[in-house]
Amino acid sequence: MQVPQTPPSPTDDELDRYIRTRYALLGIDISVLPVSDDEAPMDQERLLENGRSILRAEVEAANFHIDPQHHLPQPFPAPFTAWTDEEGA
Amino acid sequence: MTGGRGRVDALVDDGQAPPLDGPVSRRWFLNRMAWVSSAAAAGTLFARAPGVASPSGPVVTEEAFGGVVRLQDVGDLTELTLSESMTLIRNGALRPTDLVEAYLDRIEAYQDVYQAFAARLDRQTAMERAERIPAGGPDAPLRGIALAPKDNFYTADMLTEGGSLVFEGFQPDYDATAISLFRAAGGVIVGKAQMGNLAGGRARRYGTTIPTTRNAWTPNHEGYSPGGSSSGTGTAVAARLAVAGIGTQTGGSVLGPGNAQGLTTIKPTFGRISLHGVIPLSYTRDHVGPMARNALDAAIILQVLAQPDPLDPRTLGLPKPPNYALAATPFGGDRPRVRWPTRVGIWPGYLSSDDERTNGLRRALVDELDRNPSVTLVPDVTLPDEFEALSGDPLGGSHGDPTAFFIEHLRRDVRLFADRLPRFLNGMLQSADTYVKVQQARQLLLQRMVTQLFNQCDVALTPSTGAFDGTGLPLMGFPIGFDTDEETGRRVPRGATLGAAPFGEERLLAVVAAYQAVTDFHRARPEDPA
Repeated sequence: MQVPQTPPSPTDDELDRYIRTRYALLGIDISVLPVSDDEAPMDQERLLENGRSILRAEVEAANFHIDPQHHLPQPFPAPFTAWTDEEGA
Repeated sequence: MTGGRGRVDALVDDGQAPPLDGPVSRRWFLNRMAWVSSAAAAGTLFARAPGVASPSGPVVTEEAFGGVVRLQDVGDLTELTLSESMTLIRNGALRPTDLVEAYLDRIEAYQDVYQAFAARLDRQTAMERAERIPAGGPDAPLRGIALAPKDNFYTADMLTEGGSLVFEGFQPDYDATAISLFRAAGGVIVGKAQMGNLAGGRARRYGTTIPTTRNAWTPNHEGYSPGGSSSGTGTAVAARLAVAGIGTQTGGSVLGPGNAQGLTTIKPTFGRISLHGVIPLSYTRDHVGPMARNALDAAIILQVLAQPDPLDPRTLGLPKPPNYALAATPFGGDRPRVRWPTRVGIWPGYLSSDDERTNGLRRALVDELDRNPSVTLVPDVTLPDEFEALSGDPLGGSHGDPTAFFIEHLRRDVRLFADRLPRFLNGMLQSADTYVKVQQARQLLLQRMVTQLFNQCDVALTPSTGAFDGTGLPLMGFPIGFDTDEETGRRVPRGATLGAAPFGEERLLAVVAAYQAVTDFHRARPEDPA
C-alpha cells in the first residue's frame, strides 16, 4: 500500500492559477485591473501577491492546535465569557 | 484562579457600588450564548427594518450635567464641552438654536480646509430642526448638540457613502439605531464625517489614494494623517465643528484618530451599542465608539447609545448599562481619586519603545497615575499564554466577514474597492476550518485575557488595540501630552490606550476622569487655520 507523502509546496504560479480560478468561479473579474501599475490604487500583481500570502497563512492556522473540547468557537466572546470564580471560567 | 466577585467586593471603597467589570454570573453568559446561537441559525441576526429603538425613562443622570461654566465667560460657544453645553441649555442660559448656529458658522468657515464632512445639512434645514427641538426634559439631554457621525451610519436625510465608490450616491431610507437615539435625545446631525475607504485607513478621495480630511492640528499639511478610519469625526470634534461624534472600530479606527487629534474616545464592550444601520466590515469585530473632548462627554454619548436594540441581537441580554456619567465624574474633592481602587497594569515594553519621546510621555502618564491614592501600578504584566499567536495573523483577524457582505459589489466591479480590494477578496481564499479556528482562538484569547491578564490588574496600558478589538474588550483613548512632528514641525497631540475586562467601561472612565482632573491635555484646542 502506498505510504502518504507530504506533497511539495505549491509554486507561486500554481497559487496564482488557483486564485484566478476561485474568483472566476464566483463571477468576479479581476482582469479589469492593470496587470502591474504602482501608481494605480490596485493592480493584479499586488492582488495576487496578497492572495498567495493569505493562502500560505492557512497552513499556519491549520497547524495551530486548540483543544476543541475546552475552547468552542465563539464569534462574540466578550459578552459571553465569564470572569467569575467558577472553575473553568 | 483569582478574579471575580470576591476580588471586586474587596476593592469597593467608601461605600461606592462596585463597577460592572466584576459581579456578572457565568450562568447568565452560558444561557445567553445558547440564545444567540439559535438566533444566528434562524437567520435573524441581520434584520433590515428601520431602527426604532428608543430608551425608556431618563437617558442620562444628573452627573452628566456637571459641566459648570458661566456663559459670559465663554468667548466662543464651540469651546463648551458637551456637558457644559447640556447644562447651559437645560438652565435656559443658552438656546439650542444659538449653539447649532455657532457650529454651522465654524463649519462654513473651515470645512474647505479640514474636509471633515462628506455630506452636510444645509443651514436652513439645520436651523429649522434646532428651532423645532422641544423644551425637553430628562429624555432629551442632547438638545441642540451638534453631532458628527462617521459616514457609515445610515441617515435618512443625508447620503451614506462609506468613504467609497462602492456606496457612492447611496441614500438610505432609514436611520441607523445610533442616529435614531441621537435624534430622540435632541441632537442635531450637522453632517456625515468623512472616513477611510470602507472603514480602512485615513479618508481619501473616493477610489484613489489622495488624502482629503486634515488633522485638526496640522490643517495645512496634507501628509500628516488625521488617523483612520474615523478620520472626519476625529477632525470635526477636535476642530470644534461638532460637539462630539461617533466612529466605528474594527481595528483601532476610533482610538486611532482620537489619539492623533487629542480626543477622549471609548470603544465599549462588543454589543454595547447597536450596529443596526451601520455599513458592516466584520460582524464579529465592529464596534460603535463615542469620540469626545473629555471622559465625561464620552460617558454621556455612551449612556445615550448603550441601549438594547431589537434590531441587533448582539445588544440584547447584556447587563443593564450602569451610570457611566457617574463613573466619569471626578471623585474625592480637592484630591481627585479613581472612584474605585484600581490596579493599573503596564504592558511589557510600554515604557521602552523605539521612540524615546513616546517613552517620556508614557512615563509622565504613569507617574501621574502613581500619585493617585486609589491606583496601584502593576509594572510589566505577564501577557497571556501564546498571546502573539492568538492575537496576530492569521488567527487574530476577521477572516471572511467583509467578503460575505460585499460579494455583489465585487461582481459589479472590483475597481470600486480601490486599494482596499484584497481585504474584501481574501475571504474567498480562507477556508471554513480556518474560520472556525479563528473563532476558537478568539474565545481562548479572551479567556486568557480575563484569567491571566485581568487577574493581575483591572485596567492595562497597552501600545496597541488588536487583542481588545478581536475579543470585544473595552478600550479608551485619551491625550497625554504633545510632541513636535519632525516633518511638519507642528505641535501635535499624543494619546494613550487603556484596556479593561468585559463591561469594564466604568473602570476605564473613572481612571481617565481622575487623570483629566489633574491634567490639561484634554483642554488644549488647535489653532484655527490661517
